[in-house]
Amino acid sequence: MAIQFILCFNKQGVVRLVRWFDICQVDSQKPQDMIVQIYRLISSRDHKHQSNFVEFSDSTKLVYKRYAGLYFVMGIDLQDEEPIYLSHIHLFVEVLDAFFGNVCELDIVFSFYRAYMVMDEMFIGGEVQEISKEVLLERLSILDRLN
Amino acid sequence: MTSLYAPRMEDAKGRLRPFGIFFEKTLKDLIKGIRTNNTTPEKLQNFLTQALSECREEAASTDLNMKTNAVLKLTYLEMYGFDMSWANFHILEVMSSNKLQQKRVGYLAASQSFYKDPEILMLATNLMRKDLKYGGNHDVVKVGIALSGLSTIVTSSLAMDICDDLFVMLTSSRAYIRKKAIAALFKVFLQYPEALRDNFDKFVSKLEDDDTSVVSAAVSVVCELSKMNPAPFVVLSPLLYGILVSISNNWIIIRLLKLFTNLSKVEPKLRPKLLPKILELMDSTVATSVLYESINCIVKGNILDKDDYDTAMICLDRLHAFCDSSDPNLRYISCVLFYKIGKINTDFISKFDKLVFRLLNDVDVSIRSKAVELIEGIVNGNNLKNLVTTLLKQFVNEDVVLLQSDSTGIESREIPIVIPESYKVKLVHTIIRICSMDNFIHMTDFEWFNAVLWDISVLASDLPDKALGFKIGEQLRNIMVKVPSMRDSTLSTIIKVISYGNISNNLPSLLKDCFWSLGEFSNHIDNGDDLLELMINREHLYPPEIQKVIIPAILKVFTNWCNSAPNPNIERIEFILNGLLKYFESFTYSKYFDIQERAVESVELLKLVLEALKEDDEGLPLLITDVLPSLFNSYELKPISHGTQQKLQNTLTVDCQTPFLTEAEFQAILDQEESNIDDGSYSDKSLALDDEDYYENEDTRNERHSISSAFKEAETESDPFMKEEKESNPFYLADENEEKNNVADLLDFTDSKNTPESSVFISLTKHDSPQKTNESISKGEKKKKKKKSTTKVKKRVEIIPDEIVTDNELLATQQSNPNLITSNNSSSTINSYKGKINLKTNTKLANFDFFKRNDTDSLSPSNIDAEAGVEDQIELEKLRSRFGNQSLGHTQAGEGEEVIVIKKKKKSAKKKKTSRKKKNAVEEGDSAIGSL
Repeated sequence: MAIQFILCFNKQGVVRLVRWFDICQVDSQKPQDMIVQIYRLISSRDHKHQSNFVEFSDSTKLVYKRYAGLYFVMGIDLQDEEPIYLSHIHLFVEVLDAFFGNVCELDIVFSFYRAYMVMDEMFIGGEVQEISKEVLLERLSILDRLN
Repeated sequence: MTSLYAPRMEDAKGRLRPFGIFFEKTLKDLIKGIRTNNTTPEKLQNFLTQALSECREEAASTDLNMKTNAVLKLTYLEMYGFDMSWANFHILEVMSSNKLQQKRVGYLAASQSFYKDPEILMLATNLMRKDLKYGGNHDVVKVGIALSGLSTIVTSSLAMDICDDLFVMLTSSRAYIRKKAIAALFKVFLQYPEALRDNFDKFVSKLEDDDTSVVSAAVSVVCELSKMNPAPFVVLSPLLYGILVSISNNWIIIRLLKLFTNLSKVEPKLRPKLLPKILELMDSTVATSVLYESINCIVKGNILDKDDYDTAMICLDRLHAFCDSSDPNLRYISCVLFYKIGKINTDFISKFDKLVFRLLNDVDVSIRSKAVELIEGIVNGNNLKNLVTTLLKQFVNEDVVLLQSDSTGIESREIPIVIPESYKVKLVHTIIRICSMDNFIHMTDFEWFNAVLWDISVLASDLPDKALGFKIGEQLRNIMVKVPSMRDSTLSTIIKVISYGNISNNLPSLLKDCFWSLGEFSNHIDNGDDLLELMINREHLYPPEIQKVIIPAILKVFTNWCNSAPNPNIERIEFILNGLLKYFESFTYSKYFDIQERAVESVELLKLVLEALKEDDEGLPLLITDVLPSLFNSYELKPISHGTQQKLQNTLTVDCQTPFLTEAEFQAILDQEESNIDDGSYSDKSLALDDEDYYENEDTRNERHSISSAFKEAETESDPFMKEEKESNPFYLADENEEKNNVADLLDFTDSKNTPESSVFISLTKHDSPQKTNESISKGEKKKKKKKSTTKVKKRVEIIPDEIVTDNELLATQQSNPNLITSNNSSSTINSYKGKINLKTNTKLANFDFFKRNDTDSLSPSNIDAEAGVEDQIELEKLRSRFGNQSLGHTQAGEGEEVIVIKKKKKSAKKKKTSRKKKNAVEEGDSAIGSL
């Protein structure tokens, strides 16, 4: 599996976005419990001095990054390389930023479905489908006009 | 009657809705509500349950707008952990709406919720098909939405139904659709690998698409698939290599590198081709990520040879630079890669000790923890002390405050760090490992090691990992046994350990080996009586495994103490004896039978001693001076490497395969045995005979494998050697150059020692004799240092033959393999076969994902007819029937090959080829042996 899940929560651990790509992973554990564990693990880490990678279970490691008050987390396979996923996260946030125009947590809260739309345009089935920011934004603006 | 025509409340609301006037809570209201009610948990809970029940009503409404709104709200609430699978039918309705906005909400809700309930997808299949139909301009969006949704919720049955539609989309004129279809196919392949097998070429052709994003998606998918089953994609390597050479997009390059990592794991021929290109890439690129992935590819793709120092140094130098970066991420991943390189050959990293020292003091504990793993590679006699001191320092300070001088910032700051216990446990393990590595090869100062062991004993007693005790105890025991000159000071450490309350309370596992050593080497102790009092005067009992050891240990200490004093103080002895008796009696009702047995035996023995002591007025009774020591005194204990006995047994079982006695010899032995029984001296002689058999056995084996005469020499020499061993103890003599008087010492104790076991199971010593030869064998492995090497080499050689035997077989199979590989690659038709067949072989893909292989197997026949290519079909059907058998678990005699297929994937591919090419029977025989 590529990306097992994408998760976004704030400093208090309130989930803002969540998407499970790997059903196996979800089956073994209750998703909510897992999110709580992930939150505990990540929030306990020093985000300035510690790396953005942490091993979570024997099948998953986490790549995460904090942007203002929001943590963006991806669960990936142990044998995968972390840096590329970190750049995925960064690209995702950049696209969100451009799409919403200086994105903040409230944007994601109130139009979470649009944030999911961005996610769907960028990731499909746990795989990155588009890596060009311009193409993504163009596509998103077409989709957005439908609303 | 007016009421009949008067508009009801619902009607009025319904009519206003198209104008954008809603009376229900919108999503916005919901979110705002949650935020305003956030003050107390109860309030929030009330609000949420109320909102949920409203949603429930709205979702049941017939108005699609209202339903959509409800579903959207539910999707939001789902993130708060509220289950929404009850609304799955409503979601389906929304999904089937003609309005794109509503459809989108439906698909979003489906991706969030359907995974919990795959049943619902049966109903979604037709809808999906309809949505995937492309017709007209507006449909791009619709299809895109459907594809995104599909990729999240696909199951194997849905995958089967829908894959044909997806393949049609691969030829779409719109790059957007092609790209999405490819990405969605990834999920389909995972669920339904047959789809890939049957449309391999069609799919792969997308690697050469004109549109970069399509190529990118295709590369990503191939990369992910190859992670699970690289074999079918090896065929693509020339094409992929072409892309790698020509493309400049870093994202795709990284993907390709990852892909090649997977491929070169299974295809060694790729390695020499890839290496120069990757090195070139490393030189030319400026992107750190590409650089990192290049190194990663070299390391993980097994491209780096054990003795390729040049490449290793290029990689390590780059990593070295990364490790010094201020970015903790880069440091972390480089550290991990460093470790991987070190694993290939520890010599590569040995000169980077300074770097490791720096990493050991990193701010990030996870980096430190990775650096700790590196230590093994850089440790040597010179830096060992330094390393251990560094590690010990990290122990003492719970919260280490570190100075960090940022390269950007001017002033350095202090940052408190919490050191987790798991890290400390790791530290203890590492310290023990590096100190005792390769039989103390780096250890120069055992005094110091004693001090370290004492320190970590104290530290470990506060840690949760109880297994640490065994490890530390093992070290103490090893020094006692292996380093005779250190026995006195080690004993004082041990006594310190057992008298330290915290250790005996929190880490009793440490005491087991301590007590054993005390007993075994109690002749070094003058005031055994005090020691005995220390051992028995405890308020609480030790755990059973310690009790087991302490009983014989006490006996030994007692014996040695009584006999050591020139003028024995009878009263004192009597006093101690009474104390011991009381102590042992407390064990005689132990629920652990072995403790009970030992205790009862000891009590009876000591009672006799006490009686004898009372009867005898002058001097010590014979029981103390002669009988007790004789229990512990047939030979000196020597270190045996762990598991040696088991190894010996293994070789014996191998030998059992072929008879090594001729019928006549066998008869002769039988006759002899009968006469023995007649003699009545059965046991001794037949045991001796056993030994002879054992040697004979060894001889025959050696001959059989025609191993060089050196082994036989060793064989013949083993007997004289054993005698020599018993008399003196040559390797101890050779051990420590310091003192000659040590020698005298040693000769003295040779007579006073025995295993605790032998004290209890005296009768066992006879049976041990084959093991004793083994002891001497293993010494070669375990023994320390220099001079003895002449005899040792021969001894060591004796163990090797078994390894060679297995190696030979391996080599043989390996040698036959490369030929096969070359023949594979020579013909392309076979290659294309290979792609398809392998894919099927390893319904691996299916194994990796979420449904049982049986499903896909049983599904596959329905697909046969749809396939083109008559020959292929026959071939496939054959394979299928075989695999069917496999999954049922039948391993019939005629299908030895397929059995191997399961066990050894790599071999199987080649083996299959052999059979297809109708190679001769000899090779098949080979493979059968291989499978044994």
